[in-house]
Amino acid sequence: MKKSIFFVTAILIAVTSCTLDKTDYESEISTIVTEHFEYSEVVSFNKNDYQISIEALNGTFYKGFNDFRLKIINTQTNESLNTSEVTFLPVITNYNGNNSSCPHRYNLDYNSTEEYYSGYAVFTSYSTDSENWKLHLSFTDNDQIYTIAEEIIVEEQINMNLNMTTFTGSDGEQYFIALIAPQKPRIAENELVAGIYRYDQPSDEAGTFPDPSQFSYSEVSDYTLLLDPRMPEPSMGNHSSPNNEDLLQDDDGLYHGIVNYTMTGNWTLNFRMQNQYGEILKGTEVSTEFTPGIEGTRSDLHIDILF
Amino acid sequence: MMRLLAFILLLFVGLFTNAQNTEREKEKDSVIALSEVKLISVVKKKIETEMKMAVSVDEFLASSENISFIKRGAYAWEPLLNNMSSERSTITIDGMHVFGACTDKMDPITSYVESNNLSAIDIKSGQEGNMHGATVAGSIDLKRKSTPFGLSKKWNGAYQTGYEFNNKHFFNLANASYSSDKFVADGSLAYRNAENYSDGNNDEVNHSQFTKFNASLGLAYKTSALSSVKLEAIYDEAKDVGYPALPMDLWLSRALITSATYKQVFENGLFKALDTKIYFNAIEHYMDDTTRPENLVHMDMPGWSTTYGLLSKANIKKNRFSSEIQLNAYNNLSTAEMRMYPQDRSERTMFAYSWPGVTTTFAGLSINNAWEISDKSQLNFGGSLGINYNHSKYVEFNWIFHPGTPQEKTRILPSLHAGYQLDINNFNFSVGGGYGHRAPSVSEGYGYYIYNSFDRYDYIGNPDLDNEISYEGNASAGYKDDKFTIQANVNYFYIENYIIGRILSLGSPMNYQSIGVKGYTSLDYSTLFNFSLNGSYSILDNLHWNGTLTYARGKDENENNLPFIRPLSYQTSLHYQYHKLSFQTSINGDLEQIHYSPEYGEDQTPSYTIWNLSADYTFRLKNHKTVVQVGAENVLNEYYSTYADWGNIPRMGRNIFTSLKFNF
Repeated sequence: MKKSIFFVTAILIAVTSCTLDKTDYESEISTIVTEHFEYSEVVSFNKNDYQISIEALNGTFYKGFNDFRLKIINTQTNESLNTSEVTFLPVITNYNGNNSSCPHRYNLDYNSTEEYYSGYAVFTSYSTDSENWKLHLSFTDNDQIYTIAEEIIVEEQINMNLNMTTFTGSDGEQYFIALIAPQKPRIAENELVAGIYRYDQPSDEAGTFPDPSQFSYSEVSDYTLLLDPRMPEPSMGNHSSPNNEDLLQDDDGLYHGIVNYTMTGNWTLNFRMQNQYGEILKGTEVSTEFTPGIEGTRSDLHIDILF
Repeated sequence: MMRLLAFILLLFVGLFTNAQNTEREKEKDSVIALSEVKLISVVKKKIETEMKMAVSVDEFLASSENISFIKRGAYAWEPLLNNMSSERSTITIDGMHVFGACTDKMDPITSYVESNNLSAIDIKSGQEGNMHGATVAGSIDLKRKSTPFGLSKKWNGAYQTGYEFNNKHFFNLANASYSSDKFVADGSLAYRNAENYSDGNNDEVNHSQFTKFNASLGLAYKTSALSSVKLEAIYDEAKDVGYPALPMDLWLSRALITSATYKQVFENGLFKALDTKIYFNAIEHYMDDTTRPENLVHMDMPGWSTTYGLLSKANIKKNRFSSEIQLNAYNNLSTAEMRMYPQDRSERTMFAYSWPGVTTTFAGLSINNAWEISDKSQLNFGGSLGINYNHSKYVEFNWIFHPGTPQEKTRILPSLHAGYQLDINNFNFSVGGGYGHRAPSVSEGYGYYIYNSFDRYDYIGNPDLDNEISYEGNASAGYKDDKFTIQANVNYFYIENYIIGRILSLGSPMNYQSIGVKGYTSLDYSTLFNFSLNGSYSILDNLHWNGTLTYARGKDENENNLPFIRPLSYQTSLHYQYHKLSFQTSINGDLEQIHYSPEYGEDQTPSYTIWNLSADYTFRLKNHKTVVQVGAENVLNEYYSTYADWGNIPRMGRNIFTSLKFNF
C-alpha cells in the first residue's frame, strides 16, 4: 500500500512538472520592452544661489516624447521656488552651425501639490558627436531674471513604443507625432496616446539668440489621427486587429485612441492625419486584404512598434 | 463483487432497452448488496467488435450506432454522440472529467485510454446522461477494468498482439490482475506503433503514423467486509502522431489520470452503497509542424489541462423504487499558447494564448430514479442542477473582440428528464423527454484565434454566450423472440442558443492558412433528428445475421443543414460458427451525403460501401484459452472518405489484420 502511494506520488510529481514550461506572460511581454515608472534626476545645474534639477523617467532624456519635472532650490534658504516664471527651450546645433529646436513647452506649469514645474520636450534626434542639444532656461526670483544654457545628452529610444515621426503635411506645415503610451503594450486593448505638434513658422526676423519666436511649436488642436494597426511580417499576411479607435484630442491636449495588439511582435501603426475640416494632411489608406507571404504596404504616415 | 453485481443488473436493464446487449455473462461470487443501479443505458461490453477482437477504443466506439467520428487521421478520433460534437457530450473515465489539452481537438479523452484497461463503455443519450454533469447530447463513460475481491483464481491475465498490414501497425497489449480476499491489483501495458497508411488507390497518406504507450495500475484494499479503498492511475503517452488532415502533427502528448476511491456498501437500510472518489489528472500536449516544410510559418502550440475533482454517489433502494444520487465537482485549468516564428528567425517571435488560462469550476447534484410500476412497466425520471463558473486569467485577450466582458462568469445548469418503458409479451416500447442546459466549452467561450482547418477560419470565443438549452424527445419500439429481434430508436432535439461559428466582419486572420475570422455565436435554435433501426436473426443455431440502419438530420434556424450530420448509413453482418472456428463478414457504408452544409465548410461526400471479412480460431495452449484471428477490412480496396473526414482525407484502403490473444 505504502509503496503504491509512493509510486503514484512519484509519477504525479513527474508528470505535473511539465515537459515544456509554460510561458510566463508578464516576462514574455517584457523581453523587449522595459517599462519605466520612476522619475529621477537627468541633470542639475547651479546658477548663483540656485540649484536647478530636472527629473525624467529613468533619469534620461530620450529621443521622442519626454515628460519632465523641474525644481529650483535656493541653496541659501533651502526653499524651492514656486512663484517664478520658468521658460524652457531646447536647441540643437548641427555640424554646420544651424540651430533648430523641437516640440516643447516653453512656459512651464507649476504643479503646486507635487511642487515642481512640469514640461515636456519631443527631442527629434539623439545627441551625437556633431549634434548637441543645449537647454536654455530662464527663471525669475526677487524680480531678477536668471538665464542658463547648458548642454544635455539625449539618448536613443530603444523602446519602439515611444517612437516618433516628423513630416510635412499637404498644408506645407511641419508636423511631429510622438507616441506617449503605452510604454509597455499588452496583448490586449491598449490606450494609445500620442502628441501631435506643429512648427510655427516665425513671422519676424530673428532677434538675439535664442529668440523663442524662432523656435515656437504648438500642440495641434481638433485633428483626428485615423489608425489602422497591422503586422508587417510577411507570414502574418497584413494581419490586423478589431475594435481599434482613432485618436482624438482630450483635455490634456494629447490624442487618445485604442489599439488592440493580438500578439507580440512587430506592428505598424498606419496613420492618416485629418484636420478639423476633414482633410487628410498626411497618410494613405492601407490595404485590408489578407496577403499571406507578402509584407503589407505601410501608410506613408506610420510608426513601427515592437513588443 | 459489487461491480460484478452491477454488471448483472446492467445486463438486465440493458435487456429492456437494447437487445444487442445479451452477449456474455460473467461468473459472480456471493451477493452482498446491489451497488449500482443503471437506468436506461446502452452499455457496450467486451471491448471488441463483431469483426475484430483487437480494436482500438475508437474502433470499438464506432460500432455503436449513436456514435460517429470526426477523423483527422488514423489516431484520436473525435466521438460525436447523436451527431453532436464533443463539447455537447460529457466524456468521462469512471465518472472522472478529463479535458483535452489541444485547441484543435487532436486529443479527445478517448485517446488517453487503451482497450485493455477498459471493461465497458457506457453511452447514454441526451439528458439521461446528466449523471456526470451538464450535457446536451448525452454521456460517454469509459469504464475501467476492475477485478473483484476473492476470485477463486488469484492470477488472471491476457496478452494480445497483432499486426495490421496496411499501416504496419504492430501492437502489444498485456494485462494482469491479482485477486485475494483483502487485496486486488490490476495492471495493463499497451504499446502501439503504426506507420503511414495507404488509401484505396494504394497511395500513402503522409503524416498518418502514430506511436502510443499506455499503462494503468489499480490497487484495491478491503478495509472491512463492506468497504474498500482503491487507488488507480493511467499513464498515457503518444509520440510522433501524424494528422494528415491538419497542418501540424503531434510531437508529444502525455496524460496522467489518477484517482482514489472509497466504497461503502450497506446491508440494511435505505442506502445501499456509497461511492466517493477524488481525482486528479494532468494532460500536456505539444504540437509539431517541423515535419511540414510547406508551412509558411513555424509555430509552437503547446497546451496544458489540469483537473481536480470529486464525485460521490449514493444508491438508494426501497421496494420497487431505486435511486442514484451523485455529486460532481471539478476544477479544470486549460491553457494553450501559440508562438509564431518570423521567417527571419532572429526577429522577435509572436506570442499569444489560444486559451488564456481558463478555469472551469463545476459543482452539480444529479438524481436519477427508477420506479418499477409493475413487472411490465417502469418509470425513470431524474434531474440535475449544476453551477458552472469560468474565469479567464488573461481576460484582456478576450477584451480584444469583446471589450469589457467580465473576467468571471457563473451559470446555472438545470436538467430534467423522464421516460416510461413498457414490455408487453415480446414487444417493448419506451417514450421519454428531457430538458437541459450546457455551458459553452473553453474554446467556445474563451478561444482566441483557434485555427480550424476544416472550414479554414480562425475561431474566436465569446464569453457572453448564453447557455445552450436542449429540449428533447425520444421513443423506441422493439420486438424480440428466440430467433429474431428488431429495435427502432428515434430522438429529436430542439436546441436553443445553438453554438456555432459565424463569420465575423471584424479582425483579420492570424494563421496564414485561414481565410477569415469566425466568432462563436448562438443561433436562435437548431434541430436534430436521429433514427436507428437494429435487427438480428438467427438463421441457424450457428449462423446469425445482424443489421443496422441509421439516419440523422440537423437543421439550423434558417432550415440550412448543420455540419457533420451522418447521411443514411447501413451495416449488415453475418456470423458463422463451426466448432472452434468462426467466420464473420460485414458490409457497411453511407449513402451520398445529400444534406451537406457548404456554409460550414462541408462539401458533398459521395456514397461508399466497405466489405470486411474475418475468421478466428479458438484453441487451448497448455490449458490457456487462445484465439487467433485473421481478417481484412475494406477487402475491395475502395477509395473513400466519409462525411466526417476532416479535409476529405481518404480512409484506409485494404487492411489485412492478424491478432493473437492468449489468456492465463
